[in-house]
Amino acid sequence: MEIDYLATVLLSSLSSASILLIATIGLAVVFGLMGVINLAHGEFLMIGAYTALTTTQWGVPYALSIPIAVVVTMTIGATVEILIISRLYGRLFDTMLATWGLSIAFYQLAVLIFGTVTPGIGMPRYSLRIGDYSLAGYPLLMIAVAALMALFVYALMTRTAYGRKARAAIQVPEMAQAIGIDSSRVNTLTFAIGCGLAGFAGAVLLPIVPATPSMGFAFVIKAFLTVVVAGPVTLTGSVLAAIGLGGGASITASFLTSVAGDAFFFLITALLLWLFPMGISATWRRKM
Amino acid sequence: MFRIVNATGGYGKTVIIRDVSLHVDAGEAVALLGRNGVGKSTLMRFATGLIPAGSGHVEIDSVRAPVSPSRRAKLGLGYVPQGRFVFPRMTVIENIAVAAEANGHNGSEAVDATMADFPMLKPKASDLAGGLSGGQQQVLALARALAVQPRILLLDEPTEGVQPSIIDEIAGVLKRINRDRGIAILVAEQDLDFCLSIATRAYVMEKGAIRLETDRDRLKADKQLQQELLGV
Repeated sequence: MEIDYLATVLLSSLSSASILLIATIGLAVVFGLMGVINLAHGEFLMIGAYTALTTTQWGVPYALSIPIAVVVTMTIGATVEILIISRLYGRLFDTMLATWGLSIAFYQLAVLIFGTVTPGIGMPRYSLRIGDYSLAGYPLLMIAVAALMALFVYALMTRTAYGRKARAAIQVPEMAQAIGIDSSRVNTLTFAIGCGLAGFAGAVLLPIVPATPSMGFAFVIKAFLTVVVAGPVTLTGSVLAAIGLGGGASITASFLTSVAGDAFFFLITALLLWLFPMGISATWRRKM
Repeated sequence: MFRIVNATGGYGKTVIIRDVSLHVDAGEAVALLGRNGVGKSTLMRFATGLIPAGSGHVEIDSVRAPVSPSRRAKLGLGYVPQGRFVFPRMTVIENIAVAAEANGHNGSEAVDATMADFPMLKPKASDLAGGLSGGQQQVLALARALAVQPRILLLDEPTEGVQPSIIDEIAGVLKRINRDRGIAILVAEQDLDFCLSIATRAYVMEKGAIRLETDRDRLKADKQLQQELLGV
């Protein structure tokens, strides 16, 4: 029984960490490759969730609604980058303020269009039994989804010409320009990809996290802290931070209370930032 | 083919170079000499567009160069900065590929060509550039600039902090690309021997302005000027 319980706790904690990672990766891409903190990240997640919800209500299969959500959020993201973000390069706090304002606008827009309460979509019904315990299958599937997302981003940034340009542009901005990289075009694409990843997260998490106008708030704080803890080697750092913080919080929560889980998350974050002010990956030699 | 016309500029309100004009003909190698702090690096950054022009402009092929550094690179301006500034969390291969790709060239062809030009980079090909030695980074910075396929190459203190054997290798490569590929070179240096081995003509800078223009033979003969430049 003890082993069964432990295995159950570990699996569900890994699944919680994966959900955190799924919700974080888009933010990590935008911060890691543009140096911009997108405080409207949670709202892009919300837009992705509503897009998936609305299209399934129109009769589109759920699996197909996910790529639609990605296209919608990428388009909005590219527009936002060109209209707002591109005017504020190198001004971290100004971009935070601007995207925060944007998040409020998106939130109110969602309230106006959808109201504050919306129906969820049913979770696909399959589950995994471990001894006496039963775990819902869909949250477990998120472990694989998170791993695939991380691999996708890694491949995109290391195996494509776009990815190399984006990394060059954030590592040494002046030399990137001097060797012919048009940073503004690269940045528009990076921001769109970050928003598309948020939209994907909102859509793929829809069976677990129902679409509501305020759902972004719940995610953005933890996602933001995860990215800050991660530091300059964004992807590897975020994966480890999500597993450590998200998984640790979930384990704490299952033995104590969910409040203790959140307390664990914020205390460990504070401790890590005290030990590593520039993030845990500040001195790592890795590509992403 | 390359011309800086009445360049005035600096950082913020501090003017460092005043009314500087120089030219490099097609396939020519020219040295920019002068002691520390006379404005050589600032002039180089003016030429690449990395600092805004207070006044004056740059011409490439008798056409006024665009403001943006990335568009100047696409017109054939290569730049090796003082301090190398390779992309530290990218591999040697990626550093070269990205420079080629940013200008519409094939990345892997550029990498192959580089490895042929600089065999010393081969064993380091998959290492992150941030982990290379100073000399290796300098060679990589040069290789990266060449992957842009420039017609005029600007080098800023390429021998600074580099071991003598690598300095010889860099000098050899510069002479070869200048002779065989007709790439024009403008090199800012304090190492007189290095300059004399590459350049046929030189400008001497002092206090943010060009003090005189001379050629290799006159510079070799003028011991007094040499002493001034070397600061002996």
